[in-house]
Amino acid sequence: MAETNNQELTFTSSDGKNMKVPRDVAERSLLIKNMLEDLGDATEAIPIPNVSENVLTKVLEWCTHHRNDPPTTGDEDDSRRKTTDIEEWDQKFMQVDQEMLFEIILAANYLDIKPLLDIGCKTVANMIKGKSPEEIRKTFNIQNDFTPEEEDQIRRENEWAEE
Amino acid sequence: MVLSLNDLPEEILHSILLFCRPSDTCALERTARRFQGATNEQLLWRIYCRTHFKFWAQWHDMPTKLSSPVLAVDWKALYRSRHVVDVATTRLLDSILISQTGRIEKFRSVISFGYDAKDSLLRNLSISSEAEDHLARRYYAKALLTCLHRSIAIPEWASLRNGDEIPLANALGAFDLFIPESRYGNFDEINGSLDEILTRLCTEYPDIQDLSSRGQASVIASYLRTHNLIGIDSEREYHCLEHNFLGLALDDPGHNSLPLVSAVIYCHMAQRLGLNARPCGFPFHVHVIVIPRPGFDIDGNVLHHGSTGEPIYMDPFRSDQETPVADLKAQLSFLGASAVEQSAFLGESRASEIVSRCSKNVLNSLQRINHFSGARLVPVDPGCARYAALWSSLLFSNPLRPAELEQHLFLLLELLATDFSSDIHLIEQYIAPIFRGTMEFEHLMESLHVIRTVDEIPKQVKRRTPQLKGVSYHVGQVFRHRRYNYVAIITGWDTECGAGEQWMRRMGVDRLQSGRHQSFYHVIVEDKSVRYVAEENVQIIAPDISQLPPSLVAVAGKYFKRWDSVSRRFVSNIEDEYPDN
Repeated sequence: MAETNNQELTFTSSDGKNMKVPRDVAERSLLIKNMLEDLGDATEAIPIPNVSENVLTKVLEWCTHHRNDPPTTGDEDDSRRKTTDIEEWDQKFMQVDQEMLFEIILAANYLDIKPLLDIGCKTVANMIKGKSPEEIRKTFNIQNDFTPEEEDQIRRENEWAEE
Repeated sequence: MVLSLNDLPEEILHSILLFCRPSDTCALERTARRFQGATNEQLLWRIYCRTHFKFWAQWHDMPTKLSSPVLAVDWKALYRSRHVVDVATTRLLDSILISQTGRIEKFRSVISFGYDAKDSLLRNLSISSEAEDHLARRYYAKALLTCLHRSIAIPEWASLRNGDEIPLANALGAFDLFIPESRYGNFDEINGSLDEILTRLCTEYPDIQDLSSRGQASVIASYLRTHNLIGIDSEREYHCLEHNFLGLALDDPGHNSLPLVSAVIYCHMAQRLGLNARPCGFPFHVHVIVIPRPGFDIDGNVLHHGSTGEPIYMDPFRSDQETPVADLKAQLSFLGASAVEQSAFLGESRASEIVSRCSKNVLNSLQRINHFSGARLVPVDPGCARYAALWSSLLFSNPLRPAELEQHLFLLLELLATDFSSDIHLIEQYIAPIFRGTMEFEHLMESLHVIRTVDEIPKQVKRRTPQLKGVSYHVGQVFRHRRYNYVAIITGWDTECGAGEQWMRRMGVDRLQSGRHQSFYHVIVEDKSVRYVAEENVQIIAPDISQLPPSLVAVAGKYFKRWDSVSRRFVSNIEDEYPDN
């Protein structure tokens, strides 16, 4: 088992950069894990067409730190959603600009790395938390495309949810 | 172009919104058109409904909604209405805490929300000790919750009284809904626990359905007894109060229960498996009668047309064997029962008789409570148990015993006035009609009127003026009674004895050193009783909160917000009456 874990794979990022990745790190991605199971051994470089080098580096940093985590079951567990707590290392890891944050989320989604996707989504949820619509627009640079009448109507429809 | 929240696909927005609070989701909806879809998705709101609220009023029929296709239900609207009730419940509780006036109607408003109020009440019940009014908040949240449970129990009994068929587990389980110590708050929860036992039974005996009625009857008894789910451990006192409660028996690790409760547990299993099993009205010790299916005998043999099979009798409390009918008849003859009485005793009991019998058992246990050592450790609030027994006794009493009825009404009204004034509408709806046209009716209506009036009129404000010298102690102080040694909290005062002449004479007030012209204090004692004490008997103590009995601290919430560890007093929540304490 140790042998397969130590095996080194090569990823090719969307911008054509090759990177060496230990197999156990790579297998944090269920996409890669399933692919390797189907292929048996991968001797050639594996193309990751949707993820650029700088994002892939970041994602692999996360996978390396979490290489020994127990595998996720993939259960849609309700209790998982109750908490938006993020452990300290992951919080620091997510202190990136918004563009990188969304890139990581998209990459985690594509590569099927559920825990990383969750952390990314929690980070965004925490950025929305407790803000007024105007503050949310400012935070994410969202253009208000409602007419004043529409805006007023939606405000009234959602009045019940205001704290 | 820079990647932004706008550019994320719907599925990822959905994942983000799963971690958002519904109020945040609504705020995002208001930012731009782009988010209209994801923030209004019914699946998302279905998940919010499930994760944010555990308890739902029956009229939502959640099991059906949850098994319907997601789009068949407007989950966002459902969440919204449920949320509105949740907020309203907490607001009503806040308002109950703020003023002593008009509490009855506020209670009633909360109760009208049914089980939808429960999440909010539980949240308030478990509020942290940091909250400035945590004692009061916990006290009234609990009072509302138990009132809510009772208002589920009582209509079920009322419908049984009206001749409707209700499951035995409901008839008996209603007692649990009076007991704050029981974790059960409605009938689905009790039936759910019983059905879990049934599932385990069926797993252990997968071919139980293939057995004859006799075989099934014996397997059920043997299963329940082997797993110690019924009966009473030999070292336990038979008449313990908690042995009367079905839900407590289900939850207690030893599952101790009186024969009546054991029989109901047994019958629940048997009936679910298709047996015609009912408790039998045998005197002193409830048995179970199992009647064969029509056209068959108890062993499943086909009978001649028109003949019916003989029933068998089980005593699951004591044995997994059936009890020969000859033994039962012999006992009855020994007791001197006539043939007619014998057939009644050997026949099936109606659910109303089961309730009546349980009511008597509870009162019986309460009477014995003082004889047990460690009576204070009883895990059931005796006041609540008595209240349940009196309710059931009044609803199912024998009209041929008017004296008992009258006495129970008197006791019920006494409890109503001191501990359960929130239930006044239940009394008006379900008890008053029973007495219409009798001598008691006027008296009953008068008592209810007094309770309502006291609740509706703002308290007379009692200030400490410079002229007012004699009142040495303050609302919130803790004292030990010089003569009787109990510990109590001051909840009010009078400059001199304000009780009636009769009371003063009975209590020998004039034999006190300072007689009736000294200040008197209204106090609450750890057993929840309210007393009236002369100043000369008050010996103020300044304890640490940890030295006070927990029951006293809990009941303090009726009048106080919290404990102040600096002044070593309770902080008043009745400043509308005693602004200067």
